[in-house]
Amino acid sequence: MATKMKEVDVVIVGLGWTGGILAKELTEAGLKVVALERGGMRSTANDYSVPQVRDELRYVQRHDLMQNTAKDTLTIRNNPSQEALPMRRLGSFLPGEAVGGAGVHWSGHTWRWTDMEFKVRSLYEQRYGKNYIPADMTIQDWGITYAELEPYYDKFEYMAGVSGKAGNIRGRIQSGGNPFEAPRARDYPLPPLTTVLASHMFSEAAKNHGYHPFPRPSANASRAYTNPDGARFGACQYCGFCARFGCEANAKGSPHITVIPIAMRNPNFELRTHAWVTKVLKDASGKRVTGVSYTNVLNGEEFEQPAAIVLLCAYAINNVHLMLLSDIGQPYDPVSQQGVIGKNYCYQTGAGANLFFEGRNFNPFISAGGTNVSIDDFNLNWDFDRGNHGFVGGYTIGSGFNSALPIGYRPVPRGTPSWGKEWKAATAKWYQTAMNIGSSGSVMANRYNYYDLDPTYRNAFGQPLMRMTFDYTENENKMGRHAAEMVNDIAKSMNPTTFTPASVRTSWSVVPYQSTHNTGGTIMGTNPRNSAVNKYLQSWDCHNLFLIGANVFVHNASYNPTGPVGALAYWTADAIRNRYLKNPGPLVPA
Amino acid sequence: MTMRLNTILAVATTFVLAAGVAHAQDDPKRGEKVFENCRACHAVDGRANEVGPGLHGVFGRRAGDRDDFRYSPALKRSGIIWTPQTLDSFIADPQKVVPANRMPYDGLPNARDRADLIMYMLQVFK
Repeated sequence: MATKMKEVDVVIVGLGWTGGILAKELTEAGLKVVALERGGMRSTANDYSVPQVRDELRYVQRHDLMQNTAKDTLTIRNNPSQEALPMRRLGSFLPGEAVGGAGVHWSGHTWRWTDMEFKVRSLYEQRYGKNYIPADMTIQDWGITYAELEPYYDKFEYMAGVSGKAGNIRGRIQSGGNPFEAPRARDYPLPPLTTVLASHMFSEAAKNHGYHPFPRPSANASRAYTNPDGARFGACQYCGFCARFGCEANAKGSPHITVIPIAMRNPNFELRTHAWVTKVLKDASGKRVTGVSYTNVLNGEEFEQPAAIVLLCAYAINNVHLMLLSDIGQPYDPVSQQGVIGKNYCYQTGAGANLFFEGRNFNPFISAGGTNVSIDDFNLNWDFDRGNHGFVGGYTIGSGFNSALPIGYRPVPRGTPSWGKEWKAATAKWYQTAMNIGSSGSVMANRYNYYDLDPTYRNAFGQPLMRMTFDYTENENKMGRHAAEMVNDIAKSMNPTTFTPASVRTSWSVVPYQSTHNTGGTIMGTNPRNSAVNKYLQSWDCHNLFLIGANVFVHNASYNPTGPVGALAYWTADAIRNRYLKNPGPLVPA
Repeated sequence: MTMRLNTILAVATTFVLAAGVAHAQDDPKRGEKVFENCRACHAVDGRANEVGPGLHGVFGRRAGDRDDFRYSPALKRSGIIWTPQTLDSFIADPQKVVPANRMPYDGLPNARDRADLIMYMLQVFK
């Protein structure tokens, strides 16, 4: 029998970036907020300080900051004709756990997604005609515009201490920045990080091709910084232990050093850790949610937390899972194409080349999230004519090190044995002399890429696992071939001693790590027939339920998702504070 | 307490006069700005240990001597007594002066920045 807790104004499920932002904003608005976090409390001083944080075995190989697959995981398959099997070890993507969530172990790349994503269907139809978009590509306009989100991108960037160089301030192109970016009101709060030899060499080669290299914007403070909320950042030390680690110098924009401590100081806020939410509860009408059920994972005790507003702020996959487990909204069926919950699951693709330069020293161990240089000539550049290549979407190309960890980073030329004496000699020879050029590509939604509940396998709480059905389609293959060709062109022009060319990823495998950029499943849109939430991330089914995270993305861009995730969290906080509280009900008529 | 404070003040004054690092023209206001580089880890009031140890009363003390902070063995072994002079050389390049210390900071190369910082620290962490 679950213990019923006292009702609060807001219950937040998951305390990472989005939960932290909402917790801060809504407690400041005077609301009583309880956050339920499935993992434990973590802090820089206790968990991320040197030397214990520099432990690749613990954090990278053994996933110390990530979801424990013994408690809950997903079943995976490439297409509906296969039997999905449980992912027993994390691989392709790494959902975070504990206070701070993935905001602790991200690398900090903070991009602004533009109308090229938000108006994807109209743009392509206008330019290439209605028949250009394949029938099974279920992309649609998002129902939100870049102009609406611009102030919220700005707010997130200043809060998270993003280092970068503006390319377009109020329509004026800025030299050294990304000329293809959408206009921003002002520059980044911090100048770009220092680039490394690899990014410098890539930059020169890209310029020689007529491309437009710029430093990748990243929430790694290039110098000491105090954000508008008074949170203090140290300067990035280029230590190389960035993605998958907490930052020892408090230089990486993370919720546990910014929004969460502010919420924690507010008497309106209460955090309960080790609290695993199993279900969102509805009232008899099914039009309102009444709170959530959760289990204390330390002792198995069950609780019910009633609340006037429920915010799902867990990892994108878990938010969708909770909707399916709670039977809110109609589950998506790829055959009839009815229903919306689980629809439009998307991922990303990519292709990379390894370049080896005998005699050069790249010092790859000097790295940060933002030591890279990128080009957007095949991404935000709308002059790049996709019509010649027959695909929808785009890709970035970049170079520079994010990390070159002692166990995992062992670049060797093609043909080198993968173990033994020869491998050892090669890895010693090439560690210092290798660099990489990588591309990251968008994935457009497809009818057959979706989530539903697995019919066979269950988690530690006896609930059906989430089932993921995903593979790349011909659209990504066309784009991937183009990306590989462009990457290899640049690579060849740099005259490496030898190089391993980029090649297209034709099918997706869950085993090797690729990116923790899982999107969709409860997409946003203009009406309840085509989406799960409206433009304020409010459920069409239950007006006091909001779903915040990349689960609302209608498709996946080539960019990392945290920029719009953070901006949408502030956007939703504003909508709740300024509109919903005054008149609780649907913010958009159905 | 007063005795101790006086002693510390005397010690601090001696440092100012004798060390040849802190000078009357050093600007503690500017030093406060420079301390922004340190504040993400060292508490402004000098009392609490955060990511780095509280710096209250640091001058005249042996490096790594607070019982309630987990210092690196390297710093504990260093034998440094913190004076404006030793702090000046340490903060210029911490890994050079104490290899394998755990402070995640690469140093303050500008001598004027260091002088102003130390003047500020002499005032607030005495």
